[in-house]
Amino acid sequence: MTDGDYDYLIKLLALGDSGVGKTTFLYRYTDNKFNPKFITTVGIDFREKRVVYTASNPNGTTTGKTFKVHLQLWDTAGQERFRSLTTAFFRDAMGFLLMFDLTSQQSFLNVRNWMSQLQANAYCENPDIVLVGNKADLADQREVQEKQAKELADKYGIPYFETSAATGAEVDKAVITLLDLVMKRMEQCVDKPPAEPANGNGATKLGDAQPNEKKCAC
Amino acid sequence: MPQSPDMINLGFLSDSERELILEVLRRDEELRQAEEQRVCWMSKRKGAKRGSGRYSQRSCGRCLEPLSRLSVFSSQCTTCNHYVCSKCRTVLPNGSWVCSVCAKESDLKKMTGDWFYDQRVNRFSTMPGHNLVRVSLKKKSPLKKRETMGEVLLRSTEINSDLPAPVPRPRQKIQTDNKGFVLILHISFRSSRKEDEEEEEDIDSLVSFHKRTMASSSSSLHSKSTMGSLMSIYSEAGDFDSVEVSGDIVFSLNYDEHTQSLQVFIKECQGLAFGDASRQLTNPYVKCYLLPDKSRQSKRKTTIKRNTINPVYKETLKYSISRSQLLTRSILISVWHHGRLSRNAFLGEVEIALDCRDLDTAYEDRMLALTDILLSNSFAQYKGELVISLKYITPKNVTTEKIKGKKAVTEEGGELHVLIKEAKNLMAMKPGGMSDSFVKGYLFPTKAKNTKRKTPVMKKNLNPHYDHTFVFKELSLEQLRGMCLELTVWDREAMLSNEFLGGIRLSSGKGTVKIGKEEVEKDSVGEEVSLWEKMMQYPDSWAEGTLPLRSTMGKAKAK
Repeated sequence: MTDGDYDYLIKLLALGDSGVGKTTFLYRYTDNKFNPKFITTVGIDFREKRVVYTASNPNGTTTGKTFKVHLQLWDTAGQERFRSLTTAFFRDAMGFLLMFDLTSQQSFLNVRNWMSQLQANAYCENPDIVLVGNKADLADQREVQEKQAKELADKYGIPYFETSAATGAEVDKAVITLLDLVMKRMEQCVDKPPAEPANGNGATKLGDAQPNEKKCAC
Repeated sequence: MPQSPDMINLGFLSDSERELILEVLRRDEELRQAEEQRVCWMSKRKGAKRGSGRYSQRSCGRCLEPLSRLSVFSSQCTTCNHYVCSKCRTVLPNGSWVCSVCAKESDLKKMTGDWFYDQRVNRFSTMPGHNLVRVSLKKKSPLKKRETMGEVLLRSTEINSDLPAPVPRPRQKIQTDNKGFVLILHISFRSSRKEDEEEEEDIDSLVSFHKRTMASSSSSLHSKSTMGSLMSIYSEAGDFDSVEVSGDIVFSLNYDEHTQSLQVFIKECQGLAFGDASRQLTNPYVKCYLLPDKSRQSKRKTTIKRNTINPVYKETLKYSISRSQLLTRSILISVWHHGRLSRNAFLGEVEIALDCRDLDTAYEDRMLALTDILLSNSFAQYKGELVISLKYITPKNVTTEKIKGKKAVTEEGGELHVLIKEAKNLMAMKPGGMSDSFVKGYLFPTKAKNTKRKTPVMKKNLNPHYDHTFVFKELSLEQLRGMCLELTVWDREAMLSNEFLGGIRLSSGKGTVKIGKEEVEKDSVGEEVSLWEKMMQYPDSWAEGTLPLRSTMGKAKAK
């Protein structure tokens, strides 16, 4: 599994209350299977998946360049008693899947707490995060409305997805979106802000017109 | 401020939870090693080079080709400000360009994950132990930069708990940068020793790792934690300096009913030999085993005293053990010189059977003269047996080869086949009275790097059947006469250094052989000689024998 034949090792981490479906979500993503049984995660775990990532320009068009990405997807225990252990792993992840259960208002209310945990323990103060409302298939038990969640995500300036590990809906999309954010962050970190653009012949200055999105703190 | 990872207390976990988490950490370790190997490999072949020659604004900073007058003003790389010709540019997705070297550098930063670690360092720079390393080595400190939580935890499980929990294998690579600093990179052994694709380290690399660790100016937590376990293998496999033993040790034994523990009080030593004879130096420490357990669980050590032949320790080494069990045990106390930059040296030992001792009289000092039994009685302790067959296969088809010319004839040699059949009554190293053993074979003097052979690991078996053949090729009978075959049995310990279970040394028993850089005596005895001779005497037929395992592979230096 872990031969070195890949271009990037990207480490993502799923967090959120106990029972929101972090483990099943990741299981669906890596193995495309659903396990309805609830087995509480002991502390930490991880799954792996190899994906092909297609690089895109800042303006959205693909450059056609593809990379092999090895994803290490950390799964954390939601239970309070493992908290000191799980938060310690936040610092090693490059991006986060912050999950809550659409059928549990409480798990949604706790998103705020998880958010502050992330800000305190992740590698930087504003890491890449995707908000995920899971169990979208259980429509009749729904307690959190899409509008509510969307508003919260907008407040934090992060993407929001309603997923179902049971049906697989939006699962891939949520992860890929996060991966995309991380890859973009990577580019930004590496490309130092151009100090003084050369007195170019025009053609070289195209890039300067791009609005600077999230700037990382490097 | 984020909590320092070393402070995490895992005491709240149950044993089974701890096991589960350790298993995850071990998997993570595997992935991390693959990643480190990849990173190491990538960093080695950066490709583009910064030109070091002198150049002016009139020539390209990369290929040194002259630049045309017109282009001078538009040819400055935005990152490094060098003037670069159009061929040495890399266009970025956003349409701008940087020079080929800067492009390569940023590629590397991305591929190795350094972009991430560099960021993180800004945030977590107050980690313990960080400062020292970072101050002296400034930027070039990938040691801690790439460290992950999984790594820290996996390691801390060994330091903090009494459980025989695995830790990552010693992984180090030393590089000297142009300022002469010694850098320890967190790169796996496998990546620095590409030719060795096997999973276990051998004693040589362990020992050299150890030496390098000691030589490094910034000793990390990592090295400290692995040092202890190295030492016993190190000594058992015989890689240490031997000196004339002298002096006495003063100690007392006492059984404390209250805590159900045996207390070994090491008071002092007197008149020790110099461990480092050339520098008239001894840094002695005392090591203790509660025999017959010679595993690391049974090892206790005192502190190291600097530069003295009369060290005073006044330290108590404790063993939790019930009184009734003590009757069958004995205590082995050995004194060692800790070679900071060189090898450790054995300074002497004493062994005390505990059956007839009056352990109730507290702290009655005994003074015993140190003896040199470790080297002399490598067979004194029964370690089990190894059943092997040897066969020398004479070169075939010499006549047909001749047609091809002289070269072919000389290259076509005989083969030595060593069939490792089974081992009997091996020592149990693991909980549950088991060992996961394998046999390693070396043929000395080593012709090439790859004279090492290994059998697969036989799990949970003290009488394992290996039925595995080592083949050493292109050997003439004449060459073989001067050679020495060393077979050692090891308990495989994933993540940790393997434990030495015993070994045999086959040779003619006469003369010397070069092992490593040293000329050592071929100290084969008894069946070790007769089996070897039988193999030589009857080529093309199997010579089988059952040989007792030595408890130490200590080598006697040729004089």
